[in-house]
Amino acid sequence: MYSYDSQKIITLFGTILQQNISAEGFMYLKEKIPSLQNPSHFNTTFVTLPRKTGKQTLNITKDQLTQASNIRPGLTISGWSADRLARAYIILQLEASDREKYFKTLESLFRSAEVNELVALYSCLPLFAWPEMWIARCSEGIRSNIGDVLKAIMCNNPYPSENLSESAWNQLVLKAVFTEKPLDQVIGLDARANERLARTLSDYAHERWAAHRNITPELWRCVAPFIDEQILPDVQKLLSSAETLENEAAALAIYNSNFDPAKKLLPGDYKTAIENGTLSWKILAEKMNDHVLQ
Amino acid sequence: MCCSKNINDITEQDLRPGTTDNSYMEKIRGMIFFDPHVHMTSRTTDDYQAMADAGVVALIEPAFWLGQPRTGVDTFRDYYSSLIGWERFRSSQFGIKHYCTIGLNSREANNEPLAEQVMEILPLFIYKEGVVGVGEIGFDDQTAAEEKYYRLQLELAKEANLPVQIHTPHRDKKKGTTRSMDIAIEHGLDPQMVIVDHNNEETVKEVLDRGFWAAFTIYPFTKMGNERMVEVVRQYGSKNIMINSAADWGISDPLAVPKTAALMKQQGISDEDIRMVTYQNAITAFGQSGQIDEADFAAAQQIDQTQKFSGNTILRGGQHPRMDKNSIVIK
Repeated sequence: MYSYDSQKIITLFGTILQQNISAEGFMYLKEKIPSLQNPSHFNTTFVTLPRKTGKQTLNITKDQLTQASNIRPGLTISGWSADRLARAYIILQLEASDREKYFKTLESLFRSAEVNELVALYSCLPLFAWPEMWIARCSEGIRSNIGDVLKAIMCNNPYPSENLSESAWNQLVLKAVFTEKPLDQVIGLDARANERLARTLSDYAHERWAAHRNITPELWRCVAPFIDEQILPDVQKLLSSAETLENEAAALAIYNSNFDPAKKLLPGDYKTAIENGTLSWKILAEKMNDHVLQ
Repeated sequence: MCCSKNINDITEQDLRPGTTDNSYMEKIRGMIFFDPHVHMTSRTTDDYQAMADAGVVALIEPAFWLGQPRTGVDTFRDYYSSLIGWERFRSSQFGIKHYCTIGLNSREANNEPLAEQVMEILPLFIYKEGVVGVGEIGFDDQTAAEEKYYRLQLELAKEANLPVQIHTPHRDKKKGTTRSMDIAIEHGLDPQMVIVDHNNEETVKEVLDRGFWAAFTIYPFTKMGNERMVEVVRQYGSKNIMINSAADWGISDPLAVPKTAALMKQQGISDEDIRMVTYQNAITAFGQSGQIDEADFAAAQQIDQTQKFSGNTILRGGQHPRMDKNSIVIK
């Protein structure tokens, strides 16, 4: 049913909640557990949780974060609020052996969810039992236009890259670029890179250029392994851009490509910077973030 | 829910294009507003922008009639869902905190087979975050079916400990208002948990005397005009009184609350009274739901700033950049 040891996650989440929410709130959670197998009790508890736990961002220790990603690889709960983790906690209590019933219970939550509930539900996709059963739901979520919902699916969520088909995955990346999400936080971006996506992103860049609009330099990370004669001019354009971040993105893309004519274009100082670790996609993402925060 | 001006009463004057005079904005500089009744689903993004510019920081969207009757429960479900989902997000893009009330409106209560199904799904929605009351409910034609579902929803509100937002009828308003309050008392509701909406000079005294909240809708041609509103506040003060726009798909004004504040200011009503009727009283009344936190208004506004990255516009929380409406060029 589960792709990981769900009992261990329940224990970990229980500890984090106990350390972060009021004794009264934690008592409420514990008292509700026996009645959660009843769908209407489960629904009511799910909806009312923020009133009992509060919505504050959790203080999670480094050790607890490591534990979480050891038990469920890729799971990132950093920055989660108390109500979100508590919602995950009660979802994990659901009896999952009856596949149909489990699906119906969770699917009906999605259907009448408000914004914060949707965020909680989609960030919990990697914790659900029967992972392959949620592929359509995940693809549906990517069609949302609500910023926070998209972020919950796209950023720091290992579910999509593990489960989505190539076309659904490509849709996720395109929409993340289009809605200006930090690509650095998209799990599996490099592993799921593919030629079709690279070509579509290059087309997208051309459209933006034609419209005199800007493009996130992170986009070229997905294009890098597929640079060929056709894409080479894109990289050349970036190298001669007046924007340093675009020059750096081009250098990184060239460095990660296997296309010799491109490799010849890599300026020596950028090559050195990449090799001694002062320039990377991660550092580029951080620079962009700093820029935004200024 | 408006019934437009009789065609025979329209003169040449009414048909002349209006001129834009934004000088009222000067009078309300620095003020903030809470519009506790406005149907944003029926409004454009231009309205959101104008409301934000005029100082509206938060609003309540009551569930209501969409202009024609719905024929199935699923359209009710999707509508309620949109109030707590998409519309909430749309509002946040303009830095305005969006709350709603959920209920079965009086007109559609008259379709009993459908009303039964709607009553079944209401509990799914009234406990949601940001749902600050059961509303708008009450009487329209004052039929037996309307009374039945009004009573059932009062019980629902009592059980959920939520305020009630009552729509009072256009026709036979005075009796309808009295009857709505009688029934609420009969069901054991505390008048301080009940907001009686669409008052006028004829109903306000009884509503206030009986300890209910009195809301006034500033809506051209059919409800209150704001000059009359100034006189009401002059006579009754600001205790338990609140103003809303009830702007919807009819000829209405989403800026009714800021404009009325400006008029009150111009006509010598104190700043404190203005604050009470255009902001604070609504928060006190609907805040009894436990779902309103004024700190959230500030959080919603933080995304107001467009951040620049390498000439690239990056917007916090997905907020839309501003466009210059007077420019002939669209980029």
